[in-house]
Amino acid sequence: MTTEYSFIIIDDLELDRFVTRKFLERTYESVIIDSFHDAQHVLNMIHENSVANNPVPAIILLDLQMPLMDGFEFVEEFEKLPAEIKKSYKIIILTVLSSKSDPIDIYRIQTYVSVNSIIQKPLTREKLLSLLVQLRSEI
Amino acid sequence: MDDEPDNLVGFKASLRLNYKVFTAVNVPQAIDCLDSHPDIRVIFCDQRMPGKTGVDFFADIRISHPLPVRILLTAYTNINAIIDAINKGNVFRYVQKPWVESDLVSSIEEADKFYMANSMLSVKNDELQKAYTALNKFAHSVSHDIRGPLTGILGAINLAREMDDVEEMKEMMFLMEKSVKKLDAYVLSMHDYYSLQRGELKITEIDFNKIMNELKTMYSINSKINHVGFSINVKQEETFRNDEAPLMLIFNNLLSNAFKYQDKKSKNKSVEVDIEVRKSIATIYVKDTGIGILGSHVGEIFNLFYRSNSVEVGSGLGLYNVKSALSKLNGQIEVDSVLHEGTIFKVTIPSV
Repeated sequence: MTTEYSFIIIDDLELDRFVTRKFLERTYESVIIDSFHDAQHVLNMIHENSVANNPVPAIILLDLQMPLMDGFEFVEEFEKLPAEIKKSYKIIILTVLSSKSDPIDIYRIQTYVSVNSIIQKPLTREKLLSLLVQLRSEI
Repeated sequence: MDDEPDNLVGFKASLRLNYKVFTAVNVPQAIDCLDSHPDIRVIFCDQRMPGKTGVDFFADIRISHPLPVRILLTAYTNINAIIDAINKGNVFRYVQKPWVESDLVSSIEEADKFYMANSMLSVKNDELQKAYTALNKFAHSVSHDIRGPLTGILGAINLAREMDDVEEMKEMMFLMEKSVKKLDAYVLSMHDYYSLQRGELKITEIDFNKIMNELKTMYSINSKINHVGFSINVKQEETFRNDEAPLMLIFNNLLSNAFKYQDKKSKNKSVEVDIEVRKSIATIYVKDTGIGILGSHVGEIFNLFYRSNSVEVGSGLGLYNVKSALSKLNGQIEVDSVLHEGTIFKVTIPSV
């Protein structure tokens, strides 16, 4: 596949960042992937617009449970940004939480309009592919 | 409470030697007395009073003063009054006027037993409530601290099915190992958490030189591999007695943090432990040249499941356990930290 997006991975677990990155690299031939353990840092970068210099929209793969700024707080702050910044990003939640075991958390995160979809960890090739198909159909 | 002061005098006279007795001739006085003496355990009240009956008075204070046990005094035996006393006033006993002293005493003793049982129940309820709160926090942490790393490993296994580059695989194995170790550490600190909440103290004589020699051996590998200097100074010329297990837990947590939170790029990395035992108090300093703690986080580092850093993954249990261990040993802890320069923990523990 050719590059339609760039990706930003936000996850406090190093192994998860590694796995997500490798899955993406296997799906796209040449793709820009940035990964971070600190959500606040990414928010600052988005705010300063330094990530948005990419010619393609960025998909943010966001973990929910993280120390310091968690995924909920990140989305909350993200939604306060100006619309012209927000439009170059799409947020995909990547979490161990499920609507079956943690219905309140899942419901809460779905109430944010900037959350595009939710993928339950562990990540698999199938889950990633179906997400990409869905994203393409939205454009 | 009785509207006839003579009755009150007689009542007080016969009971004052064994009990603390307060008297009131009307409702406002009685309420005042209950408010200023929250330790009152038993209330005796006359049924026939101008304005308000004893039963009505009891019914009124059931909500505002639920703890004291209520006993009704009356000269009239009217079945309706008895039914009201039980249903509305929620009385514990019914004593007939004129009273026999032994009746009063036995009703007080029974009422006191009832009062104690109720109080114990509320203490137990509070403990239970605390245990539930901790359990809730644990249930929540399980999804992150156990399911998180586990699902990460599962994801890695999914990915491994598609991998054929051995170097890439090795890199992933290294990360998987870290996740497994983190899980293991979490389970161990969970064990510490529970052993600290339960069990009595086992007091022994403590030789800090011996303890520190053991710890020095334990941390020497870490010190060598990561190029972190490790120095220990112990001044102990008197005997020190306390429970060794919580003490070791404190040392282990503070030391593993001191080594873990070093600045990897720094050239001068060191951990220093200074211990002095004087006048039956052990003062322990654990100093590191690590990444330090952000000023606004210092107040929270001892809270359950608090993590101030997202680079090194901690469980949020370590320093909480240190604090629990110290409260068990009757000790104190202070922290002094400068971001990017290092942290000093000062611990003081009394000898028992």
